[in-house]
Amino acid sequence: MADEERSTALTVPTEAKKRRAPKAPELPIVERRNWLIHQHYIRKDYDTCKAIIKEQLQETNGMCEYAIYVQALILRLEGKIQQSLELFQSCAILNPSSADNLKQVARSLFLLGKHKAAIEFYHEAARLNEKDWEISHNLGLCYFFIKDFKNAEEHLNAALQINKQDKTFMMLGKVHLLAGDTDKAIEVYKRAVEFSPENTELLTTLGLLYLQLGKYQKAFVHLGNALTFDPNNYKAILAAGSMMQTHGDFDVAMNKYRVAACAVPENPPLWNNIGMCFFGKKKYVAAISCLKRAHYLSPFDWKVLYNLGLVHLTMQQYASAFHFLSAAINLNPRMGELYMLLAVALTNLEDEDNATRAYEQAVTMDESNPLVNLNFAIFLYNHGDKKRALDQYQEMERKVNLLRDNSGSFEFDSELMDMAQKMGTALQVTESLVWTKPGKDSKSKPNSAAATKTPGAPLGTNQALGQAMSSAASYNKNIQLPTGVSKSPSMPLEPEPDVENAPSPPSDPPGSPEPVEEVNPKPKTSKRKTKVEE
Amino acid sequence: MSSMEPSGDGGKWLDAHYDPVAGLYTFSSCVDLADLSGDGESRLVLGDLGSGSSGMKLKVYRGTALMSESTLLDLPAGLVAFFMDLHEPRIPAVAVASGPCIYVYKNMRPYYKFTLPGLEVNTLEQDVWQQVREGQIDPLTLKEMLESIRKKADTPLSVRSLRFLSLEPDEMEEFVQLQKQQPIKRQTVITCIGTLKKSTADEDGVSCLVIGTECSDVYILDPEAFIILTKMSLPAAPTMMDVTGQYDVEFRITVACRNGNIYILRRESDKPKYCVELSSHPVGLVRVGKNMVVGCTDESLQGFTQKGKKLWRVELPAPITTMASMDLPTKGFQAVLLGLANCEVHLYRDKNLLSTIKTPDVVSSICFGRYGREDGTLIMTTKGGGLMVKILKRTAAFEDRDNAPGPPLAQSIRLNVPKKTKLYVDQTLRERENGLAMHRAFQMDLSRLRLAAAKAYVKALESSLTPMSSSLTEPLKMNAVVQGLGPSFKLTLNVQNTAACRPVMNLAISFLYDEGLYRMKNPYMRIPLLVPGLIYPVETFVECTSDKGISDIIKVFVLHEGRSSPLLTAHINMPISEGLMLN
Repeated sequence: MADEERSTALTVPTEAKKRRAPKAPELPIVERRNWLIHQHYIRKDYDTCKAIIKEQLQETNGMCEYAIYVQALILRLEGKIQQSLELFQSCAILNPSSADNLKQVARSLFLLGKHKAAIEFYHEAARLNEKDWEISHNLGLCYFFIKDFKNAEEHLNAALQINKQDKTFMMLGKVHLLAGDTDKAIEVYKRAVEFSPENTELLTTLGLLYLQLGKYQKAFVHLGNALTFDPNNYKAILAAGSMMQTHGDFDVAMNKYRVAACAVPENPPLWNNIGMCFFGKKKYVAAISCLKRAHYLSPFDWKVLYNLGLVHLTMQQYASAFHFLSAAINLNPRMGELYMLLAVALTNLEDEDNATRAYEQAVTMDESNPLVNLNFAIFLYNHGDKKRALDQYQEMERKVNLLRDNSGSFEFDSELMDMAQKMGTALQVTESLVWTKPGKDSKSKPNSAAATKTPGAPLGTNQALGQAMSSAASYNKNIQLPTGVSKSPSMPLEPEPDVENAPSPPSDPPGSPEPVEEVNPKPKTSKRKTKVEE
Repeated sequence: MSSMEPSGDGGKWLDAHYDPVAGLYTFSSCVDLADLSGDGESRLVLGDLGSGSSGMKLKVYRGTALMSESTLLDLPAGLVAFFMDLHEPRIPAVAVASGPCIYVYKNMRPYYKFTLPGLEVNTLEQDVWQQVREGQIDPLTLKEMLESIRKKADTPLSVRSLRFLSLEPDEMEEFVQLQKQQPIKRQTVITCIGTLKKSTADEDGVSCLVIGTECSDVYILDPEAFIILTKMSLPAAPTMMDVTGQYDVEFRITVACRNGNIYILRRESDKPKYCVELSSHPVGLVRVGKNMVVGCTDESLQGFTQKGKKLWRVELPAPITTMASMDLPTKGFQAVLLGLANCEVHLYRDKNLLSTIKTPDVVSSICFGRYGREDGTLIMTTKGGGLMVKILKRTAAFEDRDNAPGPPLAQSIRLNVPKKTKLYVDQTLRERENGLAMHRAFQMDLSRLRLAAAKAYVKALESSLTPMSSSLTEPLKMNAVVQGLGPSFKLTLNVQNTAACRPVMNLAISFLYDEGLYRMKNPYMRIPLLVPGLIYPVETFVECTSDKGISDIIKVFVLHEGRSSPLLTAHINMPISEGLMLN
């Protein structure tokens, strides 16, 4: 091995070439810089990458397939989807047997919203490469977007069989949810969590689903897991926090909310929940501040308005409460409880005619909440209409019975029972002790009862839980609202002047004192309020 | 030269050298450390890509100085130092993969050039060119035939045919004449290179070269004779590889490919044994013990077993630019160094972040090992071309941080609850005492407001004070535009008949204005017949006669002949005249 000879060959091979073939210059290999393009592309150094591609395309007269391919990928990242589509199509012309090129054409079509065309291309690509999870996954995605859930499910399952990927699980779960099959969705998420037990997004979604189904224990486990792996996951924080709130752990919930407040300082449901935490801790001024911030951030959220109305009723600011509640009714005119609260406010504003009308509306709207009828009965009794009061009382009993029949372990708020019993004696309905169960169970788990009260109400219906971002919001709204709703019946547990106290007081000793008397806790609360401020 | 590092690495590293203008353009795959002269002192060898198209160099650093450099012919895709024979003294050779060749340097002098075997050429293509050589077909027919071969054939066309297809018709003849005598070749390019010990696991044992090529093959080369020992094929072009084991015993080649998958090749088979399908492209691939750590473009670091089972995944704060392993056998320490796009280098052991080094620029390549006489040296090049050398302090110890970090910091931050003022409290108290009165007053005022609004509306409708007329016979619409700075203004009234098909006739426009302020040429104009739908601009000039800088309203009435009340009325707020009257 003559070293020298080789060294000349190394250093001046161009000369050697020229000597050998003076006529035909060596053509550069088309793919010679593909690796370099790829290196820059994966390092996200797109400017250098584009420069190299340009050079490469000049050198090869546009015949370098990979350079065009990466150029198209970069264009797509820059949002020039139409241009990228054209380039991918020219790649497919240069190399018609590559499934990858077809996949990218389809992907660009998908991004342009041409789902059906994308599906065609994916099928074409699938013919070239059958065992590709990405094709199946993306096919599922396309079908999902054209709302063909059956096909979507099929293809996503096929993708999972080829290769398990978190995002396929996520998508499949979403498809099941949108198809209205929560149980299947839960199954999918369970499998997904088994496959990647540390994926906080999957854990949170599963937790929220359980929460929605009322399986609080399981929900809490999964949300807790999500929080262990990512203590800053604000979705999980909101959901877990609202659960704690439902159980009265306001301080713990507040701790969690503090983390979320750093991550998403402008999240309306978060501030709503914080507000209701303060409300639970009887810091009314802080509660109002937070709720008002939530209202400022999301002015058309009737739930925030509902809570604001509730807090103002508690603060005996009936005029303000009236405004918040009527705004809430304007936004959501189909909820009995809202009319009931409005009626309470109107009663205190001594507008009996309108209060009666509001109660009537509430009674026609509401289907399951006995509180509405009880309050109406009290109101009617106080205004001397004993007969109609009795009607309402019986209606309330019917609802109570219904609730108890539907769920055996139904527990009622003790305040509600007390009041109902008093009302019963006042109306001389003796045999009516529907709630024979003593109040102690209800005290142990007061709010779970309150929470289960709501599923029938419109709260449960507007959950678009598939949508990642909004889901947390809507979830916790759903949860937090129960607290809001339950506030009204359950607040009495922590003895304090309460919403429905306001109309009910008259019934305490039947018929005698006027509502005004009940207003005397006023000074107390005002003291508290000033404390909060300092 | 060494100074304490003030940044957040806990003073574990000494700054040995930093040259921000070293002008290096390289990747981790083109950097290696080796004792090139057998004196026990390691040198830094790196393949510099120059400007990316020219000026490629093989550079050797000793200490802080550039010791030698030699020109490379093509872009270096990878560089390894390896022992190719058993001669004493034990001096490693350097293999540079570049284009279709491997250049082997010994004692930093060119020693051997290995060229990849040519690829199989499509027989149809060969036949066609043969016919061209014999003068049987002309270039245009050639083009057609090549096009059809490209569409159908499994083997791609050669460079020559591809180039021919891209030519303009007038260039074809010349090209064919030039090329037709040459044999057709199809060559591929090396994309990555690694070494594999031949038969012993010794540090200075003879190693085979393992190369990955653009056409998705992996070759293992004998180090002495440079013949291909084994050829294996992959489903896609390889980008990075990690090799472990011995060729004669058992080995495992982990290859990251351009399709985003990682394949694991074993001795027994020429096809991949395991496959890891990632959800995004791998940027770095490092083996730590028996596991592999992969950095992906979706800003994550993932751990897999050697059979491709996923172990863990960590999210990173920024995209990865490069990865390298950090191996300190004396301390039994193995970890992964990650260069991130946010000018930081992170050190991970499994999923735990051990330490962070802040760098003045984004790091483009990392190499850790013995440099000079120092075992723990970290060599980094930056995107701007800088060269940085850091030495690990001998006292440095890396401790796994507690996996569960406890409550996040944010939990101790007080909630920013908006404060309420004393005034608010007073108002609250007032509302509590006078709520009823407030409510009633509000309701009363609200009703009054509604009444007033309704009254005003009715009045406007009755007296045609609106710029819209909805009367059945003359539905009209008008808007006015004032142009000019003054004292002359041009007033354009756009009148439109909004009826479906009936034209409107006998209309006139008149103006009402303060004659002390404005002068108008013709304060009364007749409007032509209005065809439905069309907009008729009616123009007139207004002159402001006052120089006091005041303005007024001009009222416009659209009138119907023979009727005293106007059809519609518009109030034009005149702008202040900014010019002075000339007369």
